[in-house]
Amino acid sequence: MAAVVELDRISKSYEKKAAVRELSLRIEAGTMFGLLGPNGSGKTSSIRMMVGITMPDSGSVSLLGKPFARETLRQVGYLPEERGLYKKMKVMDQLVFMGELRGLDKATAGRRAHDWCERMQILEAADKKTEELSKGMQQKIQFISTLMHDPELIIMDEPFSGLDPVNAVLLQDTLIDLKNAGKAILFSTHRMDQVEKLCDAICLIHAGQAVLSGGMREVKSRYERDRVVMQFEGDNSFLQHPAIAEYKDYAGHVEIRLKPHADAQSLLREAMQKATIFKFELVEPSLEEIFIQTVGEKVDA
Amino acid sequence: MHEILLIAKREFLEQVRGKAFKVTTILIPVIFGAIIGISVFASKNSGQGKHIVIAANDAPLASRIREKLLADKDAHMSVDVLAPAAESDRQQLISKIDQKQLDGFLWLTTDANATNPNATFVGRSSGDFATESRLSDAVDHAIVQQRLSSHGIPTDDIDSLTKGVKIETEQVKNGKEVGSSTLGSFFAAYIMAFLLTFTVMMYGMNVGRSVIQEKTSRIFEVMLSTVKPTDMLAGKLIGIGAVGLSQLAIWAAAALLFSSTALAASLMSGGLKIQISAIEIILFAVYFLLGYALYSTLFAGLAATCESEQELQQYAPLAAVPVWLSFSMITFIVSNPNSFWSVAISLFPPCAPIAMFLRIASQFPPLWQIALSIVLLLLSVVVVVWFASRIYRIGILMYGKRATVPEMLRWLRYS
Repeated sequence: MAAVVELDRISKSYEKKAAVRELSLRIEAGTMFGLLGPNGSGKTSSIRMMVGITMPDSGSVSLLGKPFARETLRQVGYLPEERGLYKKMKVMDQLVFMGELRGLDKATAGRRAHDWCERMQILEAADKKTEELSKGMQQKIQFISTLMHDPELIIMDEPFSGLDPVNAVLLQDTLIDLKNAGKAILFSTHRMDQVEKLCDAICLIHAGQAVLSGGMREVKSRYERDRVVMQFEGDNSFLQHPAIAEYKDYAGHVEIRLKPHADAQSLLREAMQKATIFKFELVEPSLEEIFIQTVGEKVDA
Repeated sequence: MHEILLIAKREFLEQVRGKAFKVTTILIPVIFGAIIGISVFASKNSGQGKHIVIAANDAPLASRIREKLLADKDAHMSVDVLAPAAESDRQQLISKIDQKQLDGFLWLTTDANATNPNATFVGRSSGDFATESRLSDAVDHAIVQQRLSSHGIPTDDIDSLTKGVKIETEQVKNGKEVGSSTLGSFFAAYIMAFLLTFTVMMYGMNVGRSVIQEKTSRIFEVMLSTVKPTDMLAGKLIGIGAVGLSQLAIWAAAALLFSSTALAASLMSGGLKIQISAIEIILFAVYFLLGYALYSTLFAGLAATCESEQELQQYAPLAAVPVWLSFSMITFIVSNPNSFWSVAISLFPPCAPIAMFLRIASQFPPLWQIALSIVLLLLSVVVVVWFASRIYRIGILMYGKRATVPEMLRWLRYS
């Protein structure tokens, strides 16, 4: 099956600064894809090339299995990081306009706008002017306007920034529903916890280059389970075990980092002989740790 | 095309529903009416209600002048005669002017039979041209009558001999003489040129403002992921241009309605006939559209390089220089419509809409000149659109700092 998005070694530079360098990635239908990276790493520049706002200097963009063409954009929903709506327009008019612009007829656009407003719990604001609404409400409206035309590919730049927890969950659930309906979703963020929870695949970019990409499980499996969390009672001399690189002992709760390729099982065996073990968990590295490990200390996200 | 129309429709509705449209639709004709009314009223009534004294050594001559001055019904002057007057009276009159009991006096000395007359007007204000011309007219008239009477010509004959002629002006149109009033066609030209300047600038600025609003609200980024920047610009130009045409149509309809009322009939009976022909209306629309296209794309390009509305406003007067240039030439063009400079400025695209229109209103220029000016205007619209759309395309995606000229030149190459 053809990928919904396929970037083949795209590069873009502004003036003398390279924003994106030789970036390649694939997004399949029915997956949630996380584009990660510190601020200024080239996330927005990459996204803008996917939606035809700018053209890559070299490399190619394919959408829905075809080389980039403007007509395909009708099946793409794009929510930019910089939110913008027509301030003087009424919410409903605005949504219908956006729908019509992407090829819906007026009646369909009106019906879908109504359904979406209901689903996003902002029906009571439908007759108000955009400028009268709160930031969060405006964000929901923009979210709807991205989805009005039932796009096959949904691209959202930092969709969760500025949303309160209740609305963030509402948005998350909606995205999961869309994914289960077979849409491809790409979103960029620097919130690792959300990516970890939501994404099937990721691409981590730093200074315009992909430094890590692939399926979430696959990426994680590349990193060893080298951390152990234990709860115990009794003698703690097993902490001198040669497998341990370093540890922090919080009176009965220890966090351990193992040496590379160390045998965690032998540590467990020794611990069992000396103390009573309540918990022994070999933790996989969090995305955040992978992120920091890969990008180094330059992260300001 | 569908997208351009949608964008045009949105822009049109937003502008027409806005407060500014309603306010300007009502206010501009009111202001125009007021300006014209005041200037007509002022020109009719200047030098009115003055109180002057005619001091002369020749009493019959003085009373003739007085009669003549009083005959001018518009002037409402009150005129006293002091004759014969001595040098001491002059001092008294001067002190009366000082005390504001008098507006001025005419000091007139003649020899016998009204030969070697010597007239001085002493007045409180120095620039009272209306009173001065009335006085000089009256003195001339009275002296001629006095001289004729001293040659023994009977009074009745004198009146018929000195009866003046009022000049009727006519204009040749299509080989036929038609009645015209120079004042009327001047006013028509003046009003239409003013209206053209005003609407072209206003709607050109509107486009600029609309671009900058989309830039500051970041809406264009969503838009650009669906439509091409050129379509977006085209839709905006069509939408706002349609607003301008609608406003002009509303004014035209209102003017037509007004001209059929009794009030208008009574105003027009004063000899001030404003004549506007159908071809003038069509050309007005053509020049409005072309002028608007030229200036609005210019403003759109300018706006795309700016960061805020305030910044745009700083540059706007610069872009408007040609408009003011042609506007300042109004009197010259209206009185010398076929001189080299009038023709040149009416062919120069940035000035063409207004300058050519002034020429049309005063004397219909050769058709080839109109055609040439329209072609030149069209060509420059194409060139400006080419530049502006490229600048626009990249400019709207830049924020943070204003673009420099070398940067803009690079933008032209990018696209």
